[in-house]
Amino acid sequence: MRELTAAAMTTIAEITQRPAGGKGGQEADALARAARLEALLGDPYDPANPHGLRALFAADARREPPAVTEALLTEEGLGAEFVPVAHGGRLTRADLLARVLRPVFRRDVALGFGYGIISLFATGAVWAAGSARQRQDVADLLLTGRRATILHHELAHANAILRDEFTARTAPGGYRLSGRKDVIINARRADLQVAYVRTDAARGPRSHSVLLLDPAGQRPEHAHHLPRVRTPGMRGALFSGLEFTDCPVPGDALVGAAGEGVSLALRTFQVNRSLICGVVTASAGTVLHSAVRAASEGRSGPLAKRWHKPLAGVFADLLACDAMATVVLRALSLLPAGAHLFAAAVKYVVPELLREDLEELATVLGARGYDHESPEYGALDKLARDLPVAGLGHAGSASCQAVLVPQLRGLAERSWFAEDEPPPELFRSGAELPDLDYRVLGIAGGGDFMAASLVGCATRLAASRGVGGHIAALAALAEAFVTELRALQERCRSLPTPGTALTDPAVAVLSDRYSRVVGAAAILGIWEGQDGGAPFLADPAWAVLALSRLGERLGIPVPDLPEGCQEQVVDELVRRYRDGRSCDLDAVAYAL
Amino acid sequence: MTPPAHRGRPAQDVTDTFEKAGTLTTNRFPGAERIGAPVHVSGPDAPWHRVRESMDRYGNAVVHTTWGEWLTTAVADPALRPLLGRDWQRYRRTGDPTLRYRFVASRLATKFTAAAALRVDPVEIDLAYKIGGRPYLRGLDQIDVSLTHTDDLIAVGISREGRIGVDAEPVDRRMSYDLLQSHVLTPAERIELEALGEAERPAEMLRLWTLKEAYTKALGQGLRLGFTEFGFGVGSGELLAPDGRPAAHGEWAFVTRRVLGRYLLSVASHDAGLGSARDTAAATMLDEGFMGAVTELLD
Repeated sequence: MRELTAAAMTTIAEITQRPAGGKGGQEADALARAARLEALLGDPYDPANPHGLRALFAADARREPPAVTEALLTEEGLGAEFVPVAHGGRLTRADLLARVLRPVFRRDVALGFGYGIISLFATGAVWAAGSARQRQDVADLLLTGRRATILHHELAHANAILRDEFTARTAPGGYRLSGRKDVIINARRADLQVAYVRTDAARGPRSHSVLLLDPAGQRPEHAHHLPRVRTPGMRGALFSGLEFTDCPVPGDALVGAAGEGVSLALRTFQVNRSLICGVVTASAGTVLHSAVRAASEGRSGPLAKRWHKPLAGVFADLLACDAMATVVLRALSLLPAGAHLFAAAVKYVVPELLREDLEELATVLGARGYDHESPEYGALDKLARDLPVAGLGHAGSASCQAVLVPQLRGLAERSWFAEDEPPPELFRSGAELPDLDYRVLGIAGGGDFMAASLVGCATRLAASRGVGGHIAALAALAEAFVTELRALQERCRSLPTPGTALTDPAVAVLSDRYSRVVGAAAILGIWEGQDGGAPFLADPAWAVLALSRLGERLGIPVPDLPEGCQEQVVDELVRRYRDGRSCDLDAVAYAL
Repeated sequence: MTPPAHRGRPAQDVTDTFEKAGTLTTNRFPGAERIGAPVHVSGPDAPWHRVRESMDRYGNAVVHTTWGEWLTTAVADPALRPLLGRDWQRYRRTGDPTLRYRFVASRLATKFTAAAALRVDPVEIDLAYKIGGRPYLRGLDQIDVSLTHTDDLIAVGISREGRIGVDAEPVDRRMSYDLLQSHVLTPAERIELEALGEAERPAEMLRLWTLKEAYTKALGQGLRLGFTEFGFGVGSGELLAPDGRPAAHGEWAFVTRRVLGRYLLSVASHDAGLGSARDTAAATMLDEGFMGAVTELLD
């Protein structure tokens, strides 16, 4: 144990002294913080490591948060990552926040949610519309290691987490809050409750408001804590219920304007959605590592041929998911007025893609996948249970579709094949971007920069169609997605105008197709944005494989994989496994 | 998926074995009560309310039918092309009439079953396929779907709580225990089966085969997940690792039932534990508040 700590300290010292290199200052700082966290958390496979997978799986089995690791994160002041720099925290950009959080999510999604990220999901409304006083109070709260939780309002087709909501009526001096909700993460231990409450009985976009609730000031006759709820996923996270009975809430607890709740949810959910995709992709990387381990165990030579397809396919999918997540997280900084559209599309695509990837990896892991306690192989079982809770299943995807559907007709009429491409910095790692500012995030309109990027990229690739090899396959795939966008345009032009009933299931189908088309644009954009520093990413092979799989799911005709494409992706995967590097765009070094 | 047959044995023997073994209704398995009883549907006009009743009560529904019951629709319905959607080309390319009608009947049965739960016209459903062939309902992920057919039987499973897989085999399918046990059974299962009489083993192995098919189909993988990599408690019906340790935490439910007197129908149903909404209608899935707020800004 002493050796382990000494080794970790050496690594941390080296990391802290590492020069910024070619990356922008903020990016280099964030990557250094991520590396420091990775080193502090230590070798996940060391059975003696108190923050290793064995300990984390054991805490999950006991249905407890991993206390020792939570204490470490508190000591590191992780809460500061959720506070904008202007308020004394370390939050600059959402894409960098995702990178900083990945060492936690790589080990335990429930820890990432339960310890920390839920505080950001909750306080987003304050960064978006809070008064100066509210912003400073919330900053102080998070900077001193305390927590916030979110009390969601009920969404269509709500599952247990989104079901039920609280209602506030106006009363002298403020509001009186009533209602009951059974499944709220950290309900008992949060120091701040950010509540999306109904303030208007009428249906529609101004039905809800956001209130900041102080649990310390709630009297037992007004606020009642309900028992812990045992969830099959995120077993260690602390879900429980709250019941308010005419609970007084002061008027200055209101965030933004009365009736602004739904639009604040839309504004902040786009950040949350994008972040979730960025961090759970890292969690899936741990399962991919375990699958490569299973496939290579006891073999000195190359991997058995039959595992090439699932392993290369899942690796390509993870790179695709990271491409989508990274682009949308960067868009929140660079193109804040229009990022909402892509955020909904990415969140619609990524969790389900990862779920399928876990199922595909189950074939490679075979019986080892049932070694639930083993740090080498237990990640599959845990993530398969945790992922639906992180992605919120159908209710989560339907809430994204609700954002996309009303916009499709306007996009078809005015945006697709008409708009300019986004700035290339969107796709370029290391480019300086503005800080994330919740106040300027749009929730509708703002065009479709990803569709424009797809068309632009396909046009540039068209010249390569005749040259053969991987690049020609990439050009053909780009064209296939453009053809699908054209078909969508045709179809979406005949949709009813927004405002009229959009309940025809055809609109749900179209939002699915649309999401995958713009997902493809992110893969192409990230490939095109390579500066040569990462030769594997600069080669088209991974993008060809990722787009083929996306196209297959979309049901569009995809060309046969060119020779050597799958092998090239497998070779890189095996290299990353042997070097202990992550299966995402960054190929960061694991603490081993 | 049809298991490899052993041709050296008359079919009748195995059927008799089954009856003696008494393993045809396995509702004694824990979790089996979480899966709705199979509903027989006889073509487009079948009693679809029974599918909705099963969804309300169990969160899942299993229907079975025979392809002949869909023949009129398959041959005469002018809406066949839009009904088949993207599967139309595959239907047209299939030359063999039996395969062709079985194909169309299975797709229609799937769409009508899903449509009952989604409360939409089946023609509005885009039945699509994931990597590896698992069918899904594009854009409508409130329902997971699985499809199987064997001889003239077609069975469809739908669920709102998580993955579902169905598999059927004729009860008289011949399977040689000696030839296949090492490919199909885990060491723990072999120990359990060898404790049974020799005559009962093939039937029990066939039942395990359908359960394994149902489970791997629920995962969207089929035979790509080796059948000796996981097993079932022969008595308990529990999902087990090859060495007999529990492989799940109660989120899976399994059942094997006999339908039409001559088929074994196994169902694997996963509960992701989110406590999904009972309402699975397509018309109510898009949040009014969100749509309203977005629409307001677009005007």
